[in-house]
Order: sequence, then structure tokens, then C-alpha cells
Amino acid sequence: MAAYLARRGATSLMTLLAVITVAFFLIRAAPGGPFDGERRLPAQVEANLRAAYHLDEPLIAQYGRYLLMLGRGDLGPSFRSKDFTVNELIASGLPVSLNVGGFALALAAGLGIAAGAVAGLRPGRRLDRGITVAAVAGLALPPIVVAPLLALVFAVTLGWLPAGGFESPRHVLLPAVALALPYLAAFARLTRGEVAEALAAPHVVTARAKGLPARRIALRHVLPTALLPAVSFLGPAAAALLTGSMVVEEVFALPGLGRHFVQGALNRDYTLVLGTVIVYATLILAFNLAVDALYTRLDPRIRLGR
Amino acid sequence: MVIAACVAASAWGANAAEARTDLRIGNGGEPQTLDPHRYNLRLEEAILNDLFLGLTTFNASGDIVPGAAASWAVSEDGLTWTFQLRQEGKWSDGHPVTAEDFVYAFRRLLAPSTAASLAHFMYPIRGAAAVNAGTAPAAALGVRASGDHELVIELARPFPFLAERLIYPTGYPVPRHVIEAAGDGWTKPGTMVSNGAFTLHDWRPQAVVELRKNPRFFDAEAVALERIAYYPTSDANAAYNRYRAGELDAIGNFPAGEIGWLSKNMPEHLRLTPLVSIMYLVYNTAAAPFEDARVREALSLAIDRQLITARVLKSGEQPNAGLVPAMVPGYQSALAPAAERPARLARARQLLGAAGHTAEAPLEITLRYISGGESKAVQLAIAAMWKDIGVATTLHHADLKTHFADLRQGEFQVAQAGWFGENNAQHYLDLLVSDTGDVNYGQFSDAAYDALMRRAYAEPELAERLALLAQAEAVGLAKHPVTPLYSVTTRALVHPRITGWIANPRNVHGARYLAWR
Repeated sequence: MAAYLARRGATSLMTLLAVITVAFFLIRAAPGGPFDGERRLPAQVEANLRAAYHLDEPLIAQYGRYLLMLGRGDLGPSFRSKDFTVNELIASGLPVSLNVGGFALALAAGLGIAAGAVAGLRPGRRLDRGITVAAVAGLALPPIVVAPLLALVFAVTLGWLPAGGFESPRHVLLPAVALALPYLAAFARLTRGEVAEALAAPHVVTARAKGLPARRIALRHVLPTALLPAVSFLGPAAAALLTGSMVVEEVFALPGLGRHFVQGALNRDYTLVLGTVIVYATLILAFNLAVDALYTRLDPRIRLGR
Repeated sequence: MVIAACVAASAWGANAAEARTDLRIGNGGEPQTLDPHRYNLRLEEAILNDLFLGLTTFNASGDIVPGAAASWAVSEDGLTWTFQLRQEGKWSDGHPVTAEDFVYAFRRLLAPSTAASLAHFMYPIRGAAAVNAGTAPAAALGVRASGDHELVIELARPFPFLAERLIYPTGYPVPRHVIEAAGDGWTKPGTMVSNGAFTLHDWRPQAVVELRKNPRFFDAEAVALERIAYYPTSDANAAYNRYRAGELDAIGNFPAGEIGWLSKNMPEHLRLTPLVSIMYLVYNTAAAPFEDARVREALSLAIDRQLITARVLKSGEQPNAGLVPAMVPGYQSALAPAAERPARLARARQLLGAAGHTAEAPLEITLRYISGGESKAVQLAIAAMWKDIGVATTLHHADLKTHFADLRQGEFQVAQAGWFGENNAQHYLDLLVSDTGDVNYGQFSDAAYDALMRRAYAEPELAERLALLAQAEAVGLAKHPVTPLYSVTTRALVHPRITGWIANPRNVHGARYLAWR
């Protein structure tokens, strides 16, 4: 297990380096620079700025300088937010995204798996059909549609919840729901299918033929196997939800990581974009690793080290 | 929507009992810096103006009034400006604000190591450009203290608009004693010391910038607000929702599509103000087909500005045939009035024909514009107007940075552009001077125009200078390097119980003048 994890960790690091390299050169290839705007800067002013941020050096030297900085855990100064370092910006944005995303993940996994299990245990009944239709609708409604609607109904029209900002737990509710819906639906559909399938499995049919109570069959024989796919889906879902959503953060004016990323990209804030990409990539790699490790525990058929 | 209006009204009504002393402003985006010398954006100007006080400032109506300087005098040749600082001027930590602070500030602004992106605002000062380029020592700058409270600024050439230029943060003093101790971290809450009506209390990136009243401000007695929160509302829809939900008291950006509903249902909140600005089309005069002035004139003639402002934009934008916005005070445009549209179209077709663009071989061009907002509708209208004279227009859009990068590299035929900022004619006419650099996107170069502008630059008398500028505008626009279109409107929602928010062409609203009724 330890050797397996070490090997997977090393591969992840290589992947991360590749991501950093590609992102570094890609963002610099985008037209326009961090100091461009409607008003053109005089040549001297621009030269002063470029020198201050080492943009006057050859690209490969800048790349080397960046990697050295990274080695020290320093993501550099932000080009756009001149009064903050990228480390400071990420330290302020990441907790917000983790908070909203964590709540969304709990909502999506908890409600999704429960609804899916309830539906799957009574396939074809009215409740099952209702949940299935709702799940399809949930999948079809991305946050970019749901988020403004939620804000309009619950904040502007009804005045029950805040329309934006990040000041209290109440501020987290609407964005978390908007973020959770598609994943809630996905969890529900996944679980429902697996549960329905498990109900028809030979060992469950046998258990039923032996006259075991339905409750016991569901808890002992159906759910444990049927939940495996949902667990493996937790990895990508967590990575997607916890890293913050640009759309939801814009709509609800949340000071999260997604917003830093969008503003950084629009302003060619090279270091901020790279910094957020590194955080995203690290989180995704870490979650995948964690799920793989977890999976080997849950399913003995997965052999290590091959 | 009726329900929405009622709920909103009750939420606002709830606070009616006592006058509030806090203000929550949707400021359109996150400030890139609160260092007055490194700033670059309008939304930073708003905050910095509440934090700091320059030699001059503006009142609630946007007029230039004394700031940290109680008065000033200009020498006869227009080259030496002498400012008398307020004796009672203090930093928020109690240190006196002295002339030496201003000398330090101007030198810091222009030092190459500061990398100030708007350092050129102060290039009218003698030696400023050389100091900023690193070719002259800081001492060569024409700013000196003659006593604790007298500051002398010497100019390279007469610049009658200096009092206006000094209202921008590039002219603000900065606290030497704090910067030398804290370095670049001096703008952090708890460390920053300022001399304006407010001080920096908190700054959480992408969340809020919070200010508190500065009890040491020279006019603190007249300041009603105790707390101001600036929220970085980069998304117009989100800002609008938060305003409607009663979470913000004033916002400067909301979706244009809501204007109809707002003017019917919340007219007392809606503020549409013409901004001193000019939107225009610029032609690449360095390449075919627009190296030919006849083609540029034909396309200019086909434009119907009234239709663009009244039928497409519909937010009170002002059609403007000149490059100088009509609302600039004291400026008399020398442009001839335009003919009726049928006559203009006939003349346009004639010009195109003479330039070799006929019905058989029509002129085909690409019009570039900036993505987002209402700009696509405007460009479609323009393409339709050009279709009337047989020109086939392809539209091409890109985000702001890409758009202007393309323009600077001359990679365009005709493109949308805009200019705003100061409330004087020279600020706009500078755009067409041949050595202006990249913002003369179309690389227009005309000896007669340049000569008139050079005469204007040397003229110390304001009236004479304005007359020369008007001549230059007429001479330049006769060659049609650009087609001026209109002045934009700023739209804002401001709570009706806020007083002191007076519409003005600069669209500046210092918080020291605001109060709750």
C-alpha cells in the first residue's frame, strides 16, 4: 500500500509539473499583457513596470525564476492586486471556496445518495419516477441557470436570504444549493441504478426467497455493494465542488478562488492564474489519489501494484 | 415584480427611524492597489479620493476646489505654480502634512522603481519625464518646498489644466514616515496612514474595502458618514440583485436592460448622468482602404448618431460630432454643422465611387469592437448604416485587452474606441497628435494639425489656447481620422435618502459630501 501510494504520489508530482509548465507558457501566449488597457502607457512607464516584474527577461529565464520561487512555496507577487501576494490572495479565497463547496458536497452526497437509494429500492413506483424525473431536471440545470434564479426568488423577491457576499452561514446557503444541484442529481441517478441492479442480483434474490425481511436485505445485502460507485464519484465531485465555481461565485459575489481565477485570467495576472491553477491541480490530484486509496479498501478485487 | 417592489420598499423603509451613518457601495470591481502612485482604475480613484486629499480636489458637484492647499497662485508666464498648504493639515496618525511630504510624493511617483503606470500624468512638471526615465536625478524635478507650508511646482511648458490634473491620486501626498518603515506593505489596513476624510479600516480581497471616518481630517465636522464599505461588484447582475435586496445603498453598474423597468418602478433610485467621454470609430490611416481620406469621409458621413443614441442605446447618451465632448466647459467647437442625411449619403456614395469602390466592386471592411455590454447592437447599427452606401461590413469582437492590443499593433481596419477622463479639450485632442504614440491607434499624422496643437501647448492664456484647440479640432476632423459618435452615460442606483450625490460630468461623488436623510 505504502509503495503504491508513493508511486502514485510521484506520478502526481510529474503531472503537476507538466500542468505548471503548460499553464505558464499558455497564459503568456494569450494576446495582450498585464499592463495593457484602454490607455496606453508611455514607453518609459511600461519599461519600468516590466522591469519591476522581470518581464523584460527571456521567457525561459522567467520560467526558471518561477520554479525556483515555487520551490520556496512562494507563488510570487500578483500583477493585478499590487498590494497582495498570490499566497495572500489564495489564503483569502480558498477557505471561502472550501466552505461553500464543502457544504454543497455534503448536500449533494447526503441527499443524492438517500434519494437514489429510496428510489432504487422501490423501482417503478411513483416515488421512484418522481425522483428520477427530478434528477434528470437537476442534471439539466447548470448553476449558470439556477444561481441567478435562486438569487432572484429567495433574495430579491422573497427577501429570505442574502443576495450576495460572504458574511454569515446564511450567505452560504443559496450558492451551495446552486452548486450542489447537478451533483445531487448525479449522485441520485448513480445510486438508484446501482440499487435497482443489486436488488436483482442472485444473492439478493436468494435472500428474499429465504424470507429475510426487506429492511434487512436492503441494509445488509443491497446498499453496501450499491454504494461503491457513489464513493468513487465522491473524488471528482469533491474536486469540482471544493475548488470553487466561477459562475456561482460571480453571481453571489463570493470572495472565493474562482473569482480570483476569472479576474486573474481577464487581467493577464500571470502569477495569480498560475497560482490558482496549481491549487486546482493539486486538489484534483489529491482527491483522485485519496479515492483510489479508498477504493482499494472497499473493493478487494482491485489489486495493488499491478 | 409588484411583490418584489413591495418587499424591497419595506426593507428600505425599515431603517427610516434613525439617520444611518454607514454606506455600502457597489464599486464595480476589486481595486488593484490602494497605493495612490500605483493606481490605474476609476474604481480605485473613488476609494483613494476618500482616503487621501491632494493639493486640489472637487466638491459635491465635481468642480475643482482647494484641497490640502488652501490657495495657489500662477506666475504670469504660466510656468510657476505656488501652493499654500493648510496649516491645520494632518495625517491620520497626527503628523502634520508638510510641503516636504508633497516633494517626497512627487519624487516617489516619478521614480522608475515605483513603476507608476500613470506617472505620465505629471509629465507637465519640469524634469518629470527625464526623472521617470531614470536619465535625471530626483532632484531635477521641478517641485520644491519653500517653508513647511509652501510648495512650488515649476512646469516644463504652460499647462493651465494643472489644478484639474492634481485632483487625481497621482498628485496625492503619501506618508513618508510610514512608507519608509513599512515598505510596500504600507497600504495594509492597520498600517496605512492617510490625510483624507476617511482611513483604511479593513481590506479583504474580492470581499470588501472598509473605511472609517478620519477625526483628524481638516473638515471632519462636515463629514456625516462614519463607515463606508466598498464591495467589488464585478458582476452587474449580482450588484443589481444585492441593491434590490437592500444589501447595497448605491451601485454604479447594473444591467442596461433593466433601465426600462427601473424608470417605471424605481425612478427615484435611478441616476443617469452623461459622463465627459467620447466613443468613436478609429480608422487605420496607414493601410488600404482607409489611407484614402475620401473613404473615411464617406463612412463618417453615413453615420446617424441620433439613431445610435436614441434608438439603440436609449440611456441618455449624447450624440457628439466632435472629438471633444460637448459638455466640456468653456470650449467652443469650430466644426461646421452637418448636412441632412440624404445629402450626406449622396455625397458619401460619390466619394466612394471616386475612390474606386463601386456597386460592382463594393468596399468590404471589418469593424472591430469590444465584447460585452451594448456594444454589439451599436456596431450592428453602424454596419447597417454603411450598407446604405453599399459597404459590406464584417463584425469582429474580442475582449478589451485583446482589442486594444490589436489596435496598437495596427491590426485593424476600423474599430471601436473610447476616451474619457479629464474635463478639458486638450485631453481629447492629444489623441490625434502624430507623436502621441499608441493611443493614436490609426497612426494619423497631419502637419497642420500638429502645428496648431504645438502652438496651443505653448500658449499660457487659457482662452487663446482653447481657440487654437478648436481650430486644430476642425482641421484634424476634416481629414476624418476618426468618427466621433457619442458621450456615454453613467448609470447608477442610489438610495433616494442619500443626500449630496449630485450629478456631474466627472461622475465623482466624494463620500465626505454624502449623508443620510
